[in-house]
Amino acid sequence: MAGPLLEPVAAGQTRFRMQGLSPDARGIAVGRELLIVFPTLERLVAFLGAYSDEASLDDLVPTMTLEHAQRHGGGHAIVLRCGAGDGYAVDRLGRLSTATRGRLYTGGGSMFVRWREREAPFGYDLVAPLTLPAGADEVTVVELDSATTYATIDRMDPLDLIQRLQLRQVPLPLGGIGSDPELAGLKDMALVLVAPGLAERTLRHLWRLEVNMAGYYVQLAGDRNPSLLLRIRHPRPRALEILYGTPGVELLAPVSSRAAVEIGFRHPIQLASASSCLPGEEMFLFRGHAGRVERLDGPPRFVDGRHLVEATGAAALREVEQLQEAELSTLRVELVLRPTTQPREPRGVLIAWPQVELLRHLVYLIPPAALSASQVVPLAEGVVVLTGTSIGARSAAAAAGLGAGSIVPLGRRLGEAAPGVMVPDGWELWPRVRPALTRQLLGLGPEDHALFIDPASAPIRVRPEQLLPLDAALIGRLALSEASLQAPAADALAPGSVENRKLSRFALWGFGGSAPAPAADSGESGMGQ
Amino acid sequence: MSRSLATFVDEFVFPLLCGGEVSVGPPIRPRDRDQMVLDTAPLMDPELRFARLRRAQELTADPMLDDPDLDELSLWIGLHNTLVFDHPERPRVWARATTWRRVEGATRTFLSLATPRSIADALARHLGVGAFLQLRRRDTIVTTATGDVRFCGQPVPRRRLRLSAVPQTGHREEIVRWVEHNQAPESQRLLEDAMRASPLTCLLAPRQAPAGWSPLHGESFLRDRGFARAICHAWASSPAWIEVGGTVAGALLASLPIPRTGEAKLPEPGAPLALPGAVVPTEPEAIAAVVGALIHLHFLKVLELDARLGVAAGSRDPGVQAFLAMPLLLPWLSSQLGSPLSSETVTPQGRPISRQEAQTGRRWGEYLEHLADLVPRPSIENLLAALVPRIVQTQ
Repeated sequence: MAGPLLEPVAAGQTRFRMQGLSPDARGIAVGRELLIVFPTLERLVAFLGAYSDEASLDDLVPTMTLEHAQRHGGGHAIVLRCGAGDGYAVDRLGRLSTATRGRLYTGGGSMFVRWREREAPFGYDLVAPLTLPAGADEVTVVELDSATTYATIDRMDPLDLIQRLQLRQVPLPLGGIGSDPELAGLKDMALVLVAPGLAERTLRHLWRLEVNMAGYYVQLAGDRNPSLLLRIRHPRPRALEILYGTPGVELLAPVSSRAAVEIGFRHPIQLASASSCLPGEEMFLFRGHAGRVERLDGPPRFVDGRHLVEATGAAALREVEQLQEAELSTLRVELVLRPTTQPREPRGVLIAWPQVELLRHLVYLIPPAALSASQVVPLAEGVVVLTGTSIGARSAAAAAGLGAGSIVPLGRRLGEAAPGVMVPDGWELWPRVRPALTRQLLGLGPEDHALFIDPASAPIRVRPEQLLPLDAALIGRLALSEASLQAPAADALAPGSVENRKLSRFALWGFGGSAPAPAADSGESGMGQ
Repeated sequence: MSRSLATFVDEFVFPLLCGGEVSVGPPIRPRDRDQMVLDTAPLMDPELRFARLRRAQELTADPMLDDPDLDELSLWIGLHNTLVFDHPERPRVWARATTWRRVEGATRTFLSLATPRSIADALARHLGVGAFLQLRRRDTIVTTATGDVRFCGQPVPRRRLRLSAVPQTGHREEIVRWVEHNQAPESQRLLEDAMRASPLTCLLAPRQAPAGWSPLHGESFLRDRGFARAICHAWASSPAWIEVGGTVAGALLASLPIPRTGEAKLPEPGAPLALPGAVVPTEPEAIAAVVGALIHLHFLKVLELDARLGVAAGSRDPGVQAFLAMPLLLPWLSSQLGSPLSSETVTPQGRPISRQEAQTGRRWGEYLEHLADLVPRPSIENLLAALVPRIVQTQ
């Protein structure tokens, strides 16, 4: 009885009988290549679909080859060969191949051994080197107790296979695609392929609906006239419903930057993770009902929708000439004061000269904020105290009307008919024109005030330099004595700085032989001697 | 070549006392000093006397200060000559080593002064020596292609600036303390002599005092209230106040008189007699003044909330240990020294003591408890045996 061909790899084993095996970081025996044997093509497609859902096919495709092989002893199989990565990537391939009924082997060249499993966590190695006769296109896979050889019949291009795969139908939302565009993948963008005969009508309809669209004409293989490909950003549900139900119009959902699949269908492979499966710069349109894959020449170059529609309107605007010589003097009226019962916030007060003495006593009662916001202008009729006008207010409180005029119970109160235009209390300007126009009619500058002291007299213009702050006008000038600083008599004591003067060659002249003289005339000896 | 007294006072003494450029030139010979004392009018200069008074007022507000005398002049000349030994141009002087030793001997003679006769005399000496310790020096370092060249207290020659690696920014200036950068061994030896001549300076800067110094030499200052306050605050202002106190305490313990074991014998007739030497005062009041000042230093740091003893706890210096143990001797010494805090709860006017005084008393009590945990018991017992009986003498 023949013995087993494989034996489990021990932990820490670094030398193997089979060529090409080497331990990875975890000590698992991994070869240079991987071999997956599928019984049918459908299983291979299922494997590719599952792998593209989980990882990127771009990692697998560059080293992947697909072969249709015949087994020695009868039977056919689909063999997938690819380069091996680390143990984690191979484990993923093993898990997915097991789920799709494939068998994973590792090795290199024409000899592969079984991938690791529960009984052999570090993989398998040959019990003894095998010398099976293998041809140029043959590979041998070694199981625990048997070895199988596969001879390649023909090779398949993986990219061609992926592009030729038939689309699978998927159900649409019961309420129509307009009820849930996100489910159909159309929330952000939708592509619309319009048959040549419907292009103009579709464009016109979408233009009326004010759809944000762009498009261009594409020449599909086999068609005589170019079809219209439209790109609609953030399509509205109503437009999608109309387009989906129209014969000759196909809605496609973009699945990657260069691929779009018709609504109601799904590609078996996740195209978003397989950009390398779509070579070149072309755009691929996978049409489910037609059963075709359209390869557009070059990347799509959409043109804004307003350049695609044709304007047929003939209406033109007519310029109107202004009637210069029209006479409007008959409309002019006089701006006058008239009595009114409408209450108005007092913004100033006119105090006659005999009452000014009383104002001096009232100043002590005025709050500081109101006092600082008040201005005064002396006139022949009396003293006008302006508080809280809208023009040149020195504080927010003044602009809000919190002024001395609200408090001073003297004289005649003035209200503000327009910004900076004061009228006596109980009177208003007639007609009631706009406040800004009132200032314009009175010819006031930006900082000027207008005072209507008396209905019978003409208004008075007060310029800003004529206004005096109330507090400054009332308080007498204080004379401050200048502070005199007393300079210190002497500088502060500081540590001295040694300055080494130049020493001559004969600096020690005189220290020759004479004995040093006694320092002090006291007879006591020094401390510590 | 000899300088007049007026020039010497203007160029050296006055800047030394008031700040400015202290000019250091060739060493002054003893015969130059003899020439100087022929005309002592510059010593009576009002400006100089006012400068001395201002310098003395940094210690006490109303110092008693005599006029400058010849001893003080000798001290100034000795300080000047001490600076000459650290002169950067000393190697270019044509002189043998023997001549330099003569200069050192002459300078030591200038600095060897008798024990001060009075507080005013000692204060006058401190004016010069204390200012001497504070002397600064402005060094210019020129960066050249071959390295840095340091010009110590001298202007840089223009040719050096032209040859510097970066003419505009190739030199920088540093202001250093002369005492810390004194390189000449002769200057270091003479500095000890100068410190020995001024007991007040030694008391104010005990870490720079010469070997064999005792705080008992300046006990008269510690008995004066104004000077004691100045000395205690000078100690407290030092960041290393524990080491300062430890130095004073160590010097005090080392200079305590050895107790007599028997009757003193008179020398035999004709035998050589001992030379008269400086006598260290050993009266109980003198020792008590030093111990009281050290305890007051503790109290000052408690008042300043700066009495951190964590670092000193690991010190094995017996002086530091004795210094830390001194406040714990208060129960035995309070009869002589009193207490930093009043034990009364009311003031002499009959009012209760303020809240601040109560807080200070609480902090002082906590500090003493902390010290009791920190100081080893043998240190206290040693002081009780060696120090306390010399202050509290029981018959």
